[in-house]
Amino acid sequence: MKKRGRGIGVSFYGTGYGNGFPDVSKAKVVLHDEGKVGIYVGGTEVGQGAKTALLQIGAETLSISLEQILFISEDTSLMPDSGTAAASRQTYNTGNAVKKACENFKDRLIDIAKEELELNSTHGLKVEKGEIYLEFFPDKRISFKELVDKYGDGTIQGEGEFIAQTVEMDPETGQGAPYWPYTFNACGVELEVDTLTGQVEILDAVFAQDAGKAINPHLVEGQMDGGFAMALGYALFEDLKLDKGRIKSNKFSRYLIPTAMDMIDVKNIIVEDPESTAPYGAKGIGEPVMIPIAPAILNAIYDATGVRIKELPVTPEKLRKALDEANGGGGSD
Amino acid sequence: MALEEVYKGENVDEVVELLDKYGKDAKIIAGGTDIVIDLRNNRIDPKVLIDISSIEELKGIKDKGEYIEIGAGVSFTQVVENPLFERNLYGLNKACHMVGSPQIRNKGTLGGNIANGSPAADSIPPLICLNSTLILKSVRGRREISIEDYYKDENEKIRPDELLVSIGFKKPKENQVLSFAKLGLRKALAISRLSIAILVELDEEGKIINIEVASGSLGKYPMRELELEQFLLGKKLEDSTVDEGVLVLQRAMEKRLAGRSTFPYKRVAVDRMFREALEEAMKYLDEVRL
Repeated sequence: MKKRGRGIGVSFYGTGYGNGFPDVSKAKVVLHDEGKVGIYVGGTEVGQGAKTALLQIGAETLSISLEQILFISEDTSLMPDSGTAAASRQTYNTGNAVKKACENFKDRLIDIAKEELELNSTHGLKVEKGEIYLEFFPDKRISFKELVDKYGDGTIQGEGEFIAQTVEMDPETGQGAPYWPYTFNACGVELEVDTLTGQVEILDAVFAQDAGKAINPHLVEGQMDGGFAMALGYALFEDLKLDKGRIKSNKFSRYLIPTAMDMIDVKNIIVEDPESTAPYGAKGIGEPVMIPIAPAILNAIYDATGVRIKELPVTPEKLRKALDEANGGGGSD
Repeated sequence: MALEEVYKGENVDEVVELLDKYGKDAKIIAGGTDIVIDLRNNRIDPKVLIDISSIEELKGIKDKGEYIEIGAGVSFTQVVENPLFERNLYGLNKACHMVGSPQIRNKGTLGGNIANGSPAADSIPPLICLNSTLILKSVRGRREISIEDYYKDENEKIRPDELLVSIGFKKPKENQVLSFAKLGLRKALAISRLSIAILVELDEEGKIINIEVASGSLGKYPMRELELEQFLLGKKLEDSTVDEGVLVLQRAMEKRLAGRSTFPYKRVAVDRMFREALEEAMKYLDEVRL
């Protein structure tokens, strides 16, 4: 017999190291030959899109095209540290550092431009499309290229540092503000349980995430899809089979992860409620996706069968057993 | 023993001569989807590998009118893409389509699936239902064994000097159909937990006048489910008959599998697979009767 059920799960997840632990990201911005701007940042690209998001934040802050930026990362001899690519922290934490470094770099350019253009003050000077100009008398202008030609490659720089604000929890009372900010997520699934084989088939899924601001909506959707696939494995497939401390599922023919055939087309919804402390409002979005999916699946299994599963993964064999036990042992349905 | 030599066979005669020379020290490699893993894990230790993947005469599917002969080197993809296996032979197509992934189906061969002898080999239950014959060659000549005996009879194995060259079977009649159902734990790259193949023919009143049921992973090797066949023969396929048939199958399984940790699950899950195979068969037969 096949039974259908629906379930939802919701979560909020604090990104960054949290709990008062020092969480520091640094970035450096350098003017190079041809008027190109080098953004130097230690943030590591592990497929999550850090390089894309941080580059976009830099381009936005500097008001220049992506092509004019040299984005240089993952080389500790060339750049300051910006912490680990972990805790869903690069967009928010390092994004803030990149934004600050770009702002400081712009201030530096404006100071130099004031001298070069023989102005009384820096007021009214704007940085845009690789030029610094006086907003109400645009004939007064100088380009990045002219500046680098005069001052030399690498001499004009700006640096930025962002230290996240979190408060250690009181070890006695557990009170405090261990994380900031939080990313909010909700997942709904519809599924079908085959009561004879114990197999669960996801029929439909929808995922909503408050990303603060989606710096790159395609990447946010990519994280939602990828996180859903991971959570699907976590909830239904991936079974280490620990036996006296030994992993019996020690090969991928036994440790099953979902294939493309097992994944479904998730309907993704991006909610944008900008976070005031974040670069352009953008929060960390990677890990939070995984959290509400297994609860949604478990709730849907309960809705379908009336059986509460309390141990993951819900393998067909385990679900069969639980259905049997709920029916007082024995019966098929 | 260390691997000393790899031969790339150009024709069957050359391969059987090599097998005559090396016997047990030689292993045949075709698609390599099983054997390469076995080599890596040191589960086998041949002195000589004989690669038969370039031998054209092993790679054909021959329609001989009443019979079909499938070369041992035919890939699962070739079976899936051949229109011979669309209508009442769809069960074999489906079984081959459920093997591994596209990459494995492109490389893996029907002959390899048989020669490797796994109890979970997907293509075997349908071939058993078809009463397939394995055609072997050696320098001594040609020999045939039934696929059913190959699995159940200790004395009916492929001998070290023999090469499996093809698998032959009689085409089912228009009013007969072969169907298949497999329980895997995910939708691709899944090793069969159990599988059921059915070949069935009904008379005009809807009574079963011919039935062959074969299972995979419900015993030490793929096998006919004779008790279920006997029970179903002559009956109409009503709900109560199917329900009772499931019980007959479960009792037969119990004799072989009782005490195994996987048995309680397989006992219930086989219900779904039997019904699924039966429903697919009935769907075809209903269309033919209209």
